Amino acid sequence: MGEKIGIIGYAQSHHQYEVQKTREDLVFDVVKEALAKAGILREELGTVVTSSTDFLDGRTISNVFLSMAVGAFLKDESKVEEDGTSSLMYAVMKLITGAYDVALVEAHTIGWGFNPHQVSFYTVDPLVDRQFGVLNDVSAGALQAKMYMDKYGVSEGDLAAVAVKNLGNGAVNPYASRRMADVSATEVLKSKMFFSPITELMMSPITDGCAVVILASEKKARSVCKNPVWIEGMGNCQDPYLRDRNLLSLTALKKAGQAAYQMAGISDPVNDLDLLEVSERYAHEELMICEALGLAREGKGKFLVENGVTTKCGELPVNPSGGALCADPICATGLVRVVECCKQINGEAEDHQVSGVKKALAHGQFGICSQKNTVIILGGE
Amino acid sequence: MGYVKDERPETMMVEGDWQVGAYRYKAPRLLEEYAQNLKNKKIVGSLCMGCGKVIVQPRNICGRCHRRMEERKIVSEWGSLTCFVVSPPVVKGKYKLFGLDPVDTGALKEGEVMIPVFVRFDGSDSNIACLLFNAKPEEVFIGMRVKAVWAKELKGAMSDLDGVEPIR
Amino acid sequence: MFRNCAIIGCGQTKHTSKRRDVSAAELAAEAVNAALVDAGITMKDVDCVVSGNMQGFGGIAQPEQWLGDWIGCAGKPAIRIATGGTTGGSVGQGACYTVASGMYNVSLAVAWEKHSDSKEAGATTGLAHVGMGNLFHALAYGLSLKNLIATTAVGAAAGVAVYQARYYMQRSGCRQEHLDMVAAKNRRCAAKNPYAHLQWPNCQPEDIAKTDLIAYPFRYGHVCPASDGASAIVVAEEKFARKHCKQPAWFKGLASYSDEENQLQSENYGGVGVIDPSEQMGARVSAMKAYKMAGITDPQKEVDLAEIYQPFPSQELIFSERLGLFDEGTAWKHMEKGETDINGRLPISVSGGVNATNAIGSSALQRILEAALQIMGKAGEHQVPKKVKTAVAHGWGGVTNYITFTVLGDTPRG
Repeated sequence: MGEKIGIIGYAQSHHQYEVQKTREDLVFDVVKEALAKAGILREELGTVVTSSTDFLDGRTISNVFLSMAVGAFLKDESKVEEDGTSSLMYAVMKLITGAYDVALVEAHTIGWGFNPHQVSFYTVDPLVDRQFGVLNDVSAGALQAKMYMDKYGVSEGDLAAVAVKNLGNGAVNPYASRRMADVSATEVLKSKMFFSPITELMMSPITDGCAVVILASEKKARSVCKNPVWIEGMGNCQDPYLRDRNLLSLTALKKAGQAAYQMAGISDPVNDLDLLEVSERYAHEELMICEALGLAREGKGKFLVENGVTTKCGELPVNPSGGALCADPICATGLVRVVECCKQINGEAEDHQVSGVKKALAHGQFGICSQKNTVIILGGE
Repeated sequence: MGYVKDERPETMMVEGDWQVGAYRYKAPRLLEEYAQNLKNKKIVGSLCMGCGKVIVQPRNICGRCHRRMEERKIVSEWGSLTCFVVSPPVVKGKYKLFGLDPVDTGALKEGEVMIPVFVRFDGSDSNIACLLFNAKPEEVFIGMRVKAVWAKELKGAMSDLDGVEPIR
Repeated sequence: MFRNCAIIGCGQTKHTSKRRDVSAAELAAEAVNAALVDAGITMKDVDCVVSGNMQGFGGIAQPEQWLGDWIGCAGKPAIRIATGGTTGGSVGQGACYTVASGMYNVSLAVAWEKHSDSKEAGATTGLAHVGMGNLFHALAYGLSLKNLIATTAVGAAAGVAVYQARYYMQRSGCRQEHLDMVAAKNRRCAAKNPYAHLQWPNCQPEDIAKTDLIAYPFRYGHVCPASDGASAIVVAEEKFARKHCKQPAWFKGLASYSDEENQLQSENYGGVGVIDPSEQMGARVSAMKAYKMAGITDPQKEVDLAEIYQPFPSQELIFSERLGLFDEGTAWKHMEKGETDINGRLPISVSGGVNATNAIGSSALQRILEAALQIMGKAGEHQVPKKVKTAVAHGWGGVTNYITFTVLGDTPRG
């Protein structure tokens, strides 16, 4: 990558179900907080890239009435739908060209407005699958979990262990929505069953939230920020449609991860990375994600949890913030992972701080069974 | 001569639904404030202490200054037309809103000619869209001075501001 | 830095009001295949796919997750960009940035719209859904339905464009017959474009003047159609572009500045501080930035051709002034003299423009595509006789507050 791009400011909302604010207020407050953290004025922004979707927000052109709140008046603006990490990637590409030197990336979803699982039903093939009406992201996720468990001898208990780890981590994260320090594997398995084996506590909660990240090219970043977090690698990939792909492995994520690793010069992820923040909408997804990112061999992801490798104090913590299982404002989830990584690198994560974080990986996904994936590698000075 | 038309062969059709009306939205109390003031024949706008612009109906955030518009200002009942459109006479069955015909529901009369206008009340920096009463289409011009027409019964609803009429 | 990149292939579908012979996936694929054939490459050469449409109109959420396989997204980096009416322009600019940044070497941009998938005519649900959240809110506070119907019914398909036209006519002295002239030119030119929708060979202003009045100054003959269609372009970096294309259309400058909401309403039915929707600050500022990037100091002399996004003929005149192609208030005078026709000094939208073909999601990309065709010399019957060295493509959308503006040239930057 030619030009170095750094993150100079970031903020997230306190994620919750049914936030008592309008969409406009939610976005405005988080943008103001991020601008204050970056120490720049709105006038210094060059371009704004937002992330939200029409079907989730309940408005066609979901960003059109939010342009003022996000600070895009007479600024270059665009919207990359779906996950916030794709918007971040696009904003970085704009900055690399030199057309602008400061970019603001914003992502939000009000999950309370309309059930996101219903929206996922509208994404399936309208000609056949939608007519049958059985496929949505939960039922498809359950199918994937079952396939994975059967092939590799993974038990429900292994999935519950992921949930226990993440929910416990989220308990000390003031921004998380679902915080359960005292949850046990039994409680996870006994919670409301959606589609076997996916129970309520193995699934991300419906959340309202917003996250904002401000980026700048190297010269500008160094002049305004004491500790910019550099973007060292980016990768993105999309899998084929749900019925035409092998659900047993997250192939698109593997490709995205490889592209990001190559850009960042990472050949040994387990040793080179200090921390990962991934978007795991279902407990089994975290195991598959770790495998796809090269942390474990196919089917052996459960041992990372069992051996304590991916706990907060393990060799390679995964989701010390609690991940998506604790707060899932869908379009913002990936960007929240980026914000959490930045906090860890800058030593601002307070109660869930991991020590000595220099290089972190943030992952964002969108689509049934993680069809679209973006991987961002971040590094401190 | 006329348009060149192109016919294509049909394929099979399958249906799908999108429950557009099932969404829930959060809204602020701004319109309530505006509607309550209309009951007292006062038109309220939000004032931005950054650029000094006054926006009717009140809005939350000034995009130019990127700050909240916390202050309020009452604008005049008098204003000027900034734009207008003269509708052709209303014909039943020609237009539907939410699947309902406006003539059937009694909202409009057949043959009626309406003049929707944009009005900038003195002291505000924004337009309001409403109807112009008691005026013939030929005499309307941009810049015409108008004043607010209030509903006979003031209920504290947005319909209290019925429209505007020329100041004669 | 900004790596040189160019459009090396263009593909579009035939636009009609109902493409009932294909599904949305096949429609988009038609454009993609045409673009790949035009560029002389296969899907293997494409590194990244940027796609978009307005999902509210087709009723499929995030459609590229299903039809991505048809347009080459499977196994590749793929991003979706959707910004309302400017979707196509944002998609095209997205493809440019992905290549100009050096992340990818060859990008495919594809945008489509299938209005006929919606049960009501003209994408009513999708359009109404833009403001529906605000509307429910206002209805709760006693918004007068009569008021609402009057202001929307009169505008009907035209919406704020009717008022915008009135503002422009007030500011410049333009008259209704000039709108007839522009509409006639567009339909005449569209007849030379095999992909356009409303084709009227040899259309004259008198033919348009005979059509019924919607609301002064708009007639039925002025208004754009709702089309089904798709367009796609292939963008490549310099070495690849020179190898595969004799005359690529190089990206010289691009910008996409937003203005405050221009259609009277903001979120939650608040007002807006814009009095005159024909002022279009967003367009002015976008043009300034893009011309600066392209090194153009006098657009009136240096721009050879413009593809302006004009669902209504008044907008062709308004935007040609706002984008610096004519002095304030004079666009209609230049048009009257024939300067904007195919043989004119500054041909505008000689593909027929959006006035003749409007597949909303793809229309703004089609403007970039048509401008590129003119530079490449591949526009066929509607190719302008003069040599096109610099062409500009424009799009507007949102609540008349979004703009995309792209400057293309026959030589690379710098």
